[in-house]
Amino acid sequence: MSTRLIELEPTFTHNRLSALRPPLSALRSPLSALQMGLKDSNMLRGEPFDDDPADEAPRIASNYRPLHTFDLPYGADRQYAHQFADVYFLRLVQLKNAVKQKAAQAWDNFELRGKKPKFVDRVLDVRQGELCWMVGTVYMDMASKPNVLDDLSHEHWIAAAPAPDSYIDPDGKDKMMFEDESGRLRVTGEMLSAHYVTGCILAALGTEQADGVFQVIATQYADLPRQPQRWEREDVAHTKAKQPKPKREKAGKIALISGLDISDTSTDVRLDLLLEYLTGEAAGPTEQSKAATISRLLIAGNSFERASPILSRKDFDVMRSQKKQYAWELSDNLVPTQRLDSFLSQLLPTLPVTLIPGDTDPAGVALPQQPLHPVMFEQSRAFANPPLETNETLHGLDFVTNPWEGDIDGFRVLGTGGQTVKDLLRYVDGVDPIDAMEMMLRWRCIAPTAPDTLWCYPFQDDDPLLLRESPHVYFAGNAKAFQARTVVGPAGQRVLLVAVPRFSVSGDIVLVDMESLEAEVVHVGMGRRREMGKNGEGEGEMVG
Amino acid sequence: MDDNYKEYLAIRVLSDQRPVTYRLLSRALKVNVNTAKRMLYEFHKKQNAKKPGSVHATYLLTGTRRSEDATNGSNGKDGDDIDMRLSPPMSSMPEQDDEEPEEKPIPESVIILVEEEDLEEEKADFEDITSIHVYSLEPGPIVNLDMLSICNEEIVTEHSKDDPLKRWKTYGSIHNPYMKRRITKYTPIPPKAAAKPTAPAKKDEAKDPAPQKNAPESAPQPAATAAAKTTSKTTKTKATAKKDKSVGDIFTSFAKSKPKAKAPEPKPAPPEDEPMQGMSEDEGDDDDNDDDQDPGPQVKPDAAKAAATKKAREDREEELRKMMEEDIEMPDATEREESPEPTFDAPVEKSAGVGVGVAKPAEPEPAVTVQAGRRRGRRRVTKKKKVKDADGYLVTKEETVWESFSEAEPEPKKAKPTPKPAAGGGAAKGKKGAGVAKGQGSIASFFKKA
Repeated sequence: MSTRLIELEPTFTHNRLSALRPPLSALRSPLSALQMGLKDSNMLRGEPFDDDPADEAPRIASNYRPLHTFDLPYGADRQYAHQFADVYFLRLVQLKNAVKQKAAQAWDNFELRGKKPKFVDRVLDVRQGELCWMVGTVYMDMASKPNVLDDLSHEHWIAAAPAPDSYIDPDGKDKMMFEDESGRLRVTGEMLSAHYVTGCILAALGTEQADGVFQVIATQYADLPRQPQRWEREDVAHTKAKQPKPKREKAGKIALISGLDISDTSTDVRLDLLLEYLTGEAAGPTEQSKAATISRLLIAGNSFERASPILSRKDFDVMRSQKKQYAWELSDNLVPTQRLDSFLSQLLPTLPVTLIPGDTDPAGVALPQQPLHPVMFEQSRAFANPPLETNETLHGLDFVTNPWEGDIDGFRVLGTGGQTVKDLLRYVDGVDPIDAMEMMLRWRCIAPTAPDTLWCYPFQDDDPLLLRESPHVYFAGNAKAFQARTVVGPAGQRVLLVAVPRFSVSGDIVLVDMESLEAEVVHVGMGRRREMGKNGEGEGEMVG
Repeated sequence: MDDNYKEYLAIRVLSDQRPVTYRLLSRALKVNVNTAKRMLYEFHKKQNAKKPGSVHATYLLTGTRRSEDATNGSNGKDGDDIDMRLSPPMSSMPEQDDEEPEEKPIPESVIILVEEEDLEEEKADFEDITSIHVYSLEPGPIVNLDMLSICNEEIVTEHSKDDPLKRWKTYGSIHNPYMKRRITKYTPIPPKAAAKPTAPAKKDEAKDPAPQKNAPESAPQPAATAAAKTTSKTTKTKATAKKDKSVGDIFTSFAKSKPKAKAPEPKPAPPEDEPMQGMSEDEGDDDDNDDDQDPGPQVKPDAAKAAATKKAREDREEELRKMMEEDIEMPDATEREESPEPTFDAPVEKSAGVGVGVAKPAEPEPAVTVQAGRRRGRRRVTKKKKVKDADGYLVTKEETVWESFSEAEPEPKKAKPTPKPAAGGGAAKGKKGAGVAKGQGSIASFFKKA
């Protein structure tokens, strides 16, 4: 014991050194040093190597109940011949009542110059000069927005052109329309500009002007739907089976990352740090036992840098400059897949993973993207159940759809690879991803801009992209920076929104505590001097 | 263990001039990662005491940075953003307006790699340091820290032969008791696994299932199953070997005009109660698809043996008949050429059929051959037949008929044949009452159809 005390000495000196500067850390450092001493966690200590019993706490179990909301039918049942008009029709039909109710409540006592507004059932029934309100789908007519008719009138694309960064017309000539089954009506209004996107269902109050344009005074949307109670699904199942409710352990945290952007050329030591942090190998026992509380990792899209059949703008230019015709000529090697595979296979023995595809992953481009195929993951698929037997893996590697929805530790979690947010942000100006995410929930539509500017499966009878139940956690991947916000719904629903940044740019891992539903960030990186250089590159890339 | 690490590190860093991380060291020496971190520290201290600057260290620092940096990443952009939730003037939702304060600062901890030159400077930046350890040693300052990831690549290529689910015990990563790992047929199998048919099959099977469950070792386990399979197969074939020989003689007399490639050896012909299996003779044990999920054949040999001793004669005859049936369902081209052969076959077939038919309703077994990615064989199909009976009514009869087929490789109904022998037997028994004459008409019906 005495030798150990002597061996501890370096820590104290180290901490003292840093303690000399700020008073705050002077208070803390001896304390943390004491803690370290108690846990015998000083890593700057040489011989003897007498300790390290493998008695660390095992990883907290992940109570994981995926929902298969976004699974598409297999084989011949997956029909792409349908019209997309049905998607809009379904959306309007399913949301009309909710929006109407909301608007009726809000505008019940509203009067303008002694006149009460009248509800108009069909958009085309609006009378000029009459104060009224209606419910319809927003359509944004924007000059820079890709238009399928234009595409058809041009020659056929070999590879589709990448989407522009913004659809907004710099001259402000964009028009907003309101439509329902009956027709379209042009609308204007101060508060409308740059806040709404194609596909959201709104109620609008106003009057039709002499030029036939509807002047909007106010709008209403459906707002958050009902939110399930925690453990609701499991409890219902237990009651049905007449079983007593199980005793539940305190839940751990889930880790969210996105945008690993694994490519064939770049190596990133941060990926190693991430791996070592999550497996509980890096850092000291304090950190390691903290890492053991992470019960699951969710990868929110873009694990590969460029594996999508649709090219990014950058790749498109590269392709043209190299006179290559097909996307696969740019990325026809297996290195990225093997890298991700080996990353996952090292992680999986200790941590279950949910893998959500993103727009640069080889999973098809239409929303909902279907799970990545296990055949690509030679090593790690041993931790997944064979797809022929079951479509979910509760402990292990779960290949899921994008968007994905499920219950983790009793809470409903909804996550996307981020292209819905990215596309929505092209319609609007100066809006944060987190705001866009909030609006999506309040509009009750996870991908409002599909099928207009986002590829989407032509749903016929039911559109799973409409929000039926409020999640407790809603995350979207590939954001520029980390953001988190708790929003509150009209019935007291509380939703934690998390914009998960691209790991390859930020080095950030987001942890969400599944008891308190609070987010925190773990940043993986290098010393300031190194990071400066690296960030410089990163910034340049993002601007360009 | 004591001095192993010094030697390893000396070779690796000093003479080979290659970087080494704690993780690689722990894999190389099979020690806990935390021990490996301290070994690096010790080595670094000792070496630099001997000769300053001979070894360069990179540290891993964890903790929280000072607050202004922590917020920098998250809400740095907030100021110039327009709030999208500009609520309509008469919005009924008051909570929208006073929601903003809810965004409280998010705790951010950092895990950074710092070289020894920057260590003190970085530490000064930290508000709280939760841990610090030597991450890697290298011969000198490195230009790009990303280079260190070659150590982890090395782990994957050099030190990943062990069972991933047991690594935590040795290396001290977090243990997850819920993890399961499937043994796929892709897990490497030692090449000699197929060549040891001496061990008694029964014992192997009895022993196997237990370790299979809790010791999913990547390499040896599939080998064991493979071995068990081979042994079971050999014993099985041994049981039928005797009669096979006698069959062989007769058979060769019939098979003179047969293409060599297809000549079926007696060995793969399944005994009567074995489920349908590929019959091509080049089917090795290792390309058997059902390696890990079809325990069926493993239990069979006993039953096969019992059946064999009991009805050796019937078996022999059935085998003979099967050979001939297989003989007949050649590729179409050869069938034409051999047109006289069926007539030659038919009497033999019939006599055999009668002999068997009395003792036991012998039902032809479905024989499937796999050739060049296509399966050929015969299967039973139930067909409806409409007959006008004596009173002039139309009567629909269901009849089971043999039909040859040829289809692309993965036969969709692979699972079905297993319960078939029983069903086939039952159907045959029923048919026996109906009339023996119809029962053995398989060859005739085959040609009639064509």
